[in-house]
Amino acid sequence: MNFFSFHLMPWPHLPGPRQFLADNEAAWVTLSNAHYDPAQGAVLYERYLSELVRAEELGLDGVVVNEHHQNAYGLMPSPNLMAAALTRETSRVKICVLGNALPLYNPPTRVAEEMAMLDVMSGGRLIAGLVVGGGPEYYSTNVNPTEARARFREAVDLVLEAWTRPGPFAFDGRYYQLPYVNPWPRPLQQPHPPVWIPGLGSPGTITYCAENGFGYMGVAYYAPPESFVRQAAAYRHAVAEAGRRFDPELLGWLTTVYVADTDEQAVEEAAPHLAYFQGTLAAGFVGPGKVWMPPGYIDPPALVQFLGELRAMVEGPRPSDPAAALWRRSPLVGSPDTVRERLLAVVNELGVGTVLSLLQFGSLPADLTARSTALYAQEVVPYVRAHARPEALR
Amino acid sequence: MTVGTGPVRAVLSVGDDRVTVVRGGRGDPVVYLHGVCDIHAAFPGDAWTPFLARLAEHAEVVAPALPGYNASTGTDRLEDVEDYVWHLGDLWAALGLGRVDVVGHSLGGWLAAELALRRPELVRRLALVAPLGLHVPGLAVPPFFGAVAPRGVGGAGEARRLLFADPDGDPAGAALPDVMARDQQLLWFGGLAGAARLGWKAPHFQSRKLAARLGRIGVDTLVVCGDGDVLVPAVMARAWVDGLASARLVAVPGAGHCVALEAPEAVHEVVRFLAAGAGP
Repeated sequence: MNFFSFHLMPWPHLPGPRQFLADNEAAWVTLSNAHYDPAQGAVLYERYLSELVRAEELGLDGVVVNEHHQNAYGLMPSPNLMAAALTRETSRVKICVLGNALPLYNPPTRVAEEMAMLDVMSGGRLIAGLVVGGGPEYYSTNVNPTEARARFREAVDLVLEAWTRPGPFAFDGRYYQLPYVNPWPRPLQQPHPPVWIPGLGSPGTITYCAENGFGYMGVAYYAPPESFVRQAAAYRHAVAEAGRRFDPELLGWLTTVYVADTDEQAVEEAAPHLAYFQGTLAAGFVGPGKVWMPPGYIDPPALVQFLGELRAMVEGPRPSDPAAALWRRSPLVGSPDTVRERLLAVVNELGVGTVLSLLQFGSLPADLTARSTALYAQEVVPYVRAHARPEALR
Repeated sequence: MTVGTGPVRAVLSVGDDRVTVVRGGRGDPVVYLHGVCDIHAAFPGDAWTPFLARLAEHAEVVAPALPGYNASTGTDRLEDVEDYVWHLGDLWAALGLGRVDVVGHSLGGWLAAELALRRPELVRRLALVAPLGLHVPGLAVPPFFGAVAPRGVGGAGEARRLLFADPDGDPAGAALPDVMARDQQLLWFGGLAGAARLGWKAPHFQSRKLAARLGRIGVDTLVVCGDGDVLVPAVMARAWVDGLASARLVAVPGAGHCVALEAPEAVHEVVRFLAAGAGP
């Protein structure tokens, strides 16, 4: 079992959802960076990096950073800079960059180089996340979204070849043509660092991961749990179809986590910060406002389905019990007993061997983050580790 | 030639691709290359838009759907203007067309001009209605693909404000209603993906090379623009006419970018212009 601390490094100083959406269409692409205060930003980077370092001290297995551009949701346009800092501030945990958005780099051998550096600097602790990049990022970078998937697949091939094939060699693809591929350094892990790919449930992505031996990380934390149930089953099925052995650690699940002494206390303390996370910061790809989903980024039928689910989520009946509502949207909020049983159920029933725990979310302040993280690491993780049998689903 | 009939839809094989083509009307063939937005009104109900209905009184209208629109394929393979022009040339051949009049609206106007530039033997007279494609240095236009991004709730108001002079009028509401049925959503998003294939690069739908080449388009050209078009503002319309070898401008009062939907009576200018070139 892997328990990772996943950080988005969000900007916590915007108004709550109601006020925010009254004044803004989204927290992505067009929200003015005049809202960003560099002095406060310095304090935040220091704090957020410390929270990841704390995960190692508390016995978790890894830390996760990720790439987002031109938004208040995640302040790591270059996750590799954060990962580089973490190679020096940690000594044991895996460092997962989930990931670098390959189509946004030209040539993507830049990613092969930087990730090889991270792997060497960390003593072989890198997990290489490779991603297509979010819809809003195609607006922010002007890379053509109709090429996103094909460019991504070709770039993955290029990066893996750059890591494993002695250079120099020529690469002659549809999108990338390089006469001399020969990156120094090469990665320490052989043949290459593990590759994880995050997905929102697209069948194509799940099959692609299974066929290539890549980890599939379900990151649609805002979707109801049933959505991930389907994805996990599809991944296990696709692995079997590909004739591979199911390795639970390659099936990951991203979830917000908040632990307090009692369920009531946990819900009360987490609720406003989850609301800020899901209502303010995520505005731009979910919610009632503008959805920065560029044309051609996903197939029209998938887009129509996504928008339908979004509408149902925004307009649908709200459970009157706030705890039930939170369970639907963010299962792991509660007392240690509640969270350990819910998490164990997900692990054993879905075969999840990697839990990507979002221990800080939205505007959750440092003191609450620290207390919840400690409770999670000390009261929940050891219990789940002891009782987890995800491989039983093999 | 189809004689005096309403539109008939067919799907043609063109090379490796399929192309939806709607044709009907009476007279010499006129190819109509549609815009970013007017495709729904023409095709789902198999009824002409008012603009095409009137054009079909004077000509046999041949209206192909560009890649991504309707059932037309090719977006995975066709990458740029060059590819699209050769695709249109293949389409002409598949339709048995020679040198014909071409009416291009919006995105279709851009392609019609590029076709006339590279394949002059396929174009007799050229009517460009709110043509995209021209880059005018220093002239800022609103980002199309940002304005048409979907919303979780609340509809297509921003897209209507971008594309129509009267966003609350019937033509705007029919083309881009706040709540679209699934079929219309599929057409709209499929079409946008096709449009993005060609036009995503910012500023959207602009070629940096076209302006310097415009003078090489030798055929008589009519440029028709709405005076409320923010994507093809007056300065850009004037740049088309000034750059083309033989062109004249008609400004349509009270129309936005989707002239063919919002001011279908502009078709009379087009019909008169095409008629002036008729004959042997």
